[in-house]
Amino acid sequence: MPKLSRRALLAASAGLLAAPASAQTVKPRLTAISQWSAGSDGAAITALGKKFEERGGVWQHSPVPGFTTEMMNKLRAQILGGDPPACSQLKGPEIAAWSKIAPTVNLDAVVAAAGYEKVVAPDLARIHKPGGKWAAMPLQIYRTNTLFVSKRAMDRVKADKLPTNWAEFNALAEKMKAAGIAYPLANGGSRPDDGQKFEAALAGISPTVYRAAIMNLDEKALKGPEMHAAFVQLRKLADWMDPNTASQAYAVHLPQFVAGDMGMMIQGGWAQGVLLNAGFKLDDFIIGPGPSDNGKPVFLLNADAFIFWQRKEADLQAGQKLMAEMVMDPAIQTMYSQITGSIPVRTDVDLSGPGWSDGQREAAATLKAAVAANQSVLSLAHNMAQENGMTAAMIDVITEYVKNRAITPDQAVTRLAEAVEGAR
Amino acid sequence: MPAGPICNGAAPVRSRRVILGTLVWLLAAAYLVPMVVVLLNSLRTAQEIAQGSMIGWPKFWEFGNYAVAWSGFCIAQTCQGIAPYIANSAAITLPATLISTLLGAVAGYAVSLWRFRGDRWIFGLVTLGVFLPEQMRLIPWTIVLRDLGLSNTLAGLVMIHSVQGLSFTALFCRNYYLSIPQELMKAARIDGAGFFRIFWRIVLPLSPPILVVTVIWQFTGIWNEFLYGVTFTTGTQQPITAALIALATSVADVPQYGVQNAAVVLAALPTMLVYLFGGRYFVRGLTAGAVK
Amino acid sequence: MSGSLRRFARKLPELLVIWVPMLLSAGHVVVFTLWTTWVSFTPSTLMPTDGWVGLRNYSAVLATRNWKVAFDNLLLFGFSFMLLTTLVGLALAILLDQRLRGENVLRAIFLYPLAVSFVVTGTVWSWLLNPGMGVQKLVNSLGWTAFRFDWLVNRDMAIWTVVIAAIWQASGFAMALFLAGLRSVDADLLKAAQIDGAGPVRTYARVILPSLWPITVSVLVILLQFAIKTFDLVRALTEGGPGIATQLPALVVYDFMFQRGNLGRGSAAAVLMLLTLLAVLLPYAGWTYLQRRRARA
Repeated sequence: MPKLSRRALLAASAGLLAAPASAQTVKPRLTAISQWSAGSDGAAITALGKKFEERGGVWQHSPVPGFTTEMMNKLRAQILGGDPPACSQLKGPEIAAWSKIAPTVNLDAVVAAAGYEKVVAPDLARIHKPGGKWAAMPLQIYRTNTLFVSKRAMDRVKADKLPTNWAEFNALAEKMKAAGIAYPLANGGSRPDDGQKFEAALAGISPTVYRAAIMNLDEKALKGPEMHAAFVQLRKLADWMDPNTASQAYAVHLPQFVAGDMGMMIQGGWAQGVLLNAGFKLDDFIIGPGPSDNGKPVFLLNADAFIFWQRKEADLQAGQKLMAEMVMDPAIQTMYSQITGSIPVRTDVDLSGPGWSDGQREAAATLKAAVAANQSVLSLAHNMAQENGMTAAMIDVITEYVKNRAITPDQAVTRLAEAVEGAR
Repeated sequence: MPAGPICNGAAPVRSRRVILGTLVWLLAAAYLVPMVVVLLNSLRTAQEIAQGSMIGWPKFWEFGNYAVAWSGFCIAQTCQGIAPYIANSAAITLPATLISTLLGAVAGYAVSLWRFRGDRWIFGLVTLGVFLPEQMRLIPWTIVLRDLGLSNTLAGLVMIHSVQGLSFTALFCRNYYLSIPQELMKAARIDGAGFFRIFWRIVLPLSPPILVVTVIWQFTGIWNEFLYGVTFTTGTQQPITAALIALATSVADVPQYGVQNAAVVLAALPTMLVYLFGGRYFVRGLTAGAVK
Repeated sequence: MSGSLRRFARKLPELLVIWVPMLLSAGHVVVFTLWTTWVSFTPSTLMPTDGWVGLRNYSAVLATRNWKVAFDNLLLFGFSFMLLTTLVGLALAILLDQRLRGENVLRAIFLYPLAVSFVVTGTVWSWLLNPGMGVQKLVNSLGWTAFRFDWLVNRDMAIWTVVIAAIWQASGFAMALFLAGLRSVDADLLKAAQIDGAGPVRTYARVILPSLWPITVSVLVILLQFAIKTFDLVRALTEGGPGIATQLPALVVYDFMFQRGNLGRGSAAAVLMLLTLLAVLLPYAGWTYLQRRRARA
């Protein structure tokens, strides 16, 4: 029985290819899984679903609550069961890894028709083209080394200029501390929170070494002086955080941050979406690029994406095509980024409109500049630089270092190199 | 002073009872703290909790949290609160509890009162299942569900919980049935009663205490299960724990403490009620010999 | 011939009812364990695959700090959780056995934590124990500003917050078992002790507690099962932190298998965990076997 229906569907899809006119008779349908269930993420994917329905599609999104791991468990179970979703959230090098275990849709034709490749940063395009063929669609970009400064904290120390390098950052943090702001850096206690502080430190010190050590796992770079310097800076950052945070997410500190009881955050642009979604205003905080010691902006890149799994059903195939077209659509990218606080994947979107914040405009401009200066690198903490196994092994060392003052920068450098070796 | 010695003897006893009573109620108060905190927080606003502490008396009774938790808050595009998830959990938990209890009773009965070749070995393997971690069984179950064509069905989850639950229920029931006198069995067999008749006429009527124990154990265990529930169901079929996690772990949101606590209270009600009404039988069932 | 066939046909329903569920249950234990053991020797990553890598997955797991920390924690957590829960449960049972007023209410209070899911337990205790929002903050705001209760964020003490939450959750079960045991102590023995003039302490020490030994074994087995499978609780309470200070083997297994996408190493960790369990269970099985033989002799 299942065989029969599959054959029937095959015939149907073959018929579809032969006679495009009949495509009108199939209502595009999309089954999707993601972990985006609440807050601004939930709002954005829901808005996307509404647009999908407006264009005549059937939107069947199943959020998988919990951590990313649960979402991947679900995906694995669906693939093992021979019933993958038409598209699912997946990002970074995992796209290439997962595309080896089940057939993905070749999106080359759709991408070519939209002339999309010209407007996507080459580093980003590469990740979504395992084996040289588009199998996944980046949805939005975040900069993970975005500097958020509380307007009220700035007023308290009578500062008006954002720090541009680590020396200035450290000076401002000390100034805040002296002015009675007990914790100049608002941070969560989760693993990505810690990892993100490290990557911001290292990339700010030297994006070249970051690329060599973190992205290419070059042994010499991993043991180099810049790594040592990054751990020294990370210790400073750790000392400015609230030690009572335990494993909570950074978002628990947002009310104190806005009130000026905490001074700064090094976060992804998503923090803007979360702040606005929680009822705070754009003029409660100032956004700028993360500290960079060589005078040129550094962009730590994180991108969310959808991967498309091969399905035989004609309506799902039509849904995949529609979805891919929509995700490339500047209007859709605008809508999505304005809800979540990200910036569009397309480099040709005009961000001068009223729906964008100065921070988003600045981030988009910085991305262009950083790509031009070869200072755009992929985020480690958010699973863009390495596959999950390597990432987790490295974050183990980083998070232990943040939580344990007894570990010296030298020890941390050694342990990180060992962890990389062990996870290879 | 004729009453003297009696008084002297009774006073320490009475005061000892007062001390013991005070002690035990203090302990009880400590055990209640988490529940009281959750109940109070379920009536506070998120802002109040964020600005103050997790422990505190509501400045303003926000009963609206319960309305939002029950039928209001959104998980992606579905804004129906936890109500539908409660129904899903019930649809998984009730049949799985009944099936595993019944099968466990029969298995325990067969092993304890009939004895057959190899029973100790197979029973040992069954009870070893108690120790296998769920994480290890996740992928094998995925493959089994696929091969049975039960992927993404509630029936698949019911089957998993029934098979896994048998480890516990058979263990409990076997230990309980060991206390049924062999003479009773012999007499029944001489009367010509067979396997099912003895079970039905003699064993089952003696079983309510232990069945209460297994039902409570299975019901709470399955109701509170997350890993399988979230992996083996899709979207609108998901169990209550998935909804709770969605509320608790959303990093893309300032925590909605009030609603989250109200949802915790609502989600825990069924298992709490089971313990409240079954608790008395729970101890009685164990007293009756489940611990041999 | 036809007679025995008929007898077999008559017995068929009961054979099916006995053997099918038992074989399914025992079968899933055996097959899943063997399968995991097989995967632990393969180069499987995201999906189970064929191949043979010998003990490479084992040496890789054993070399990680995560596993070392997790294993030490399992010994510390497992031992203290089992011991303390048993003691607390026994104490509660003895207290409740005094026929105090409100026994039904008290019993319900000590049992209710069992009804709550580990995720909820972990989350609620993470609030209470969080120095920035829980007990410490409350006491500080009441005027005692020097008060510190920050085990949750203290690397050396964080594992004890897991112990506290786990005791809170499981001691009711130990209490119920012990209470059941206390209520079924032979009344004649108690009377004899009374006639001998033994006080309550002596009665407990000499008569009642020794008779609770079989129950204690049951309690320990159930608690061992709790301890070795502890997962959701830690994930919700500490996420294995601060750093990796509260890792436990079940978390490492899950982490390797699914977060790090390395089924081979995750399975190796699972097998190591089961071997640890066997190291505890086998002596116990041997001991009961000897007991039984001695009883028969």
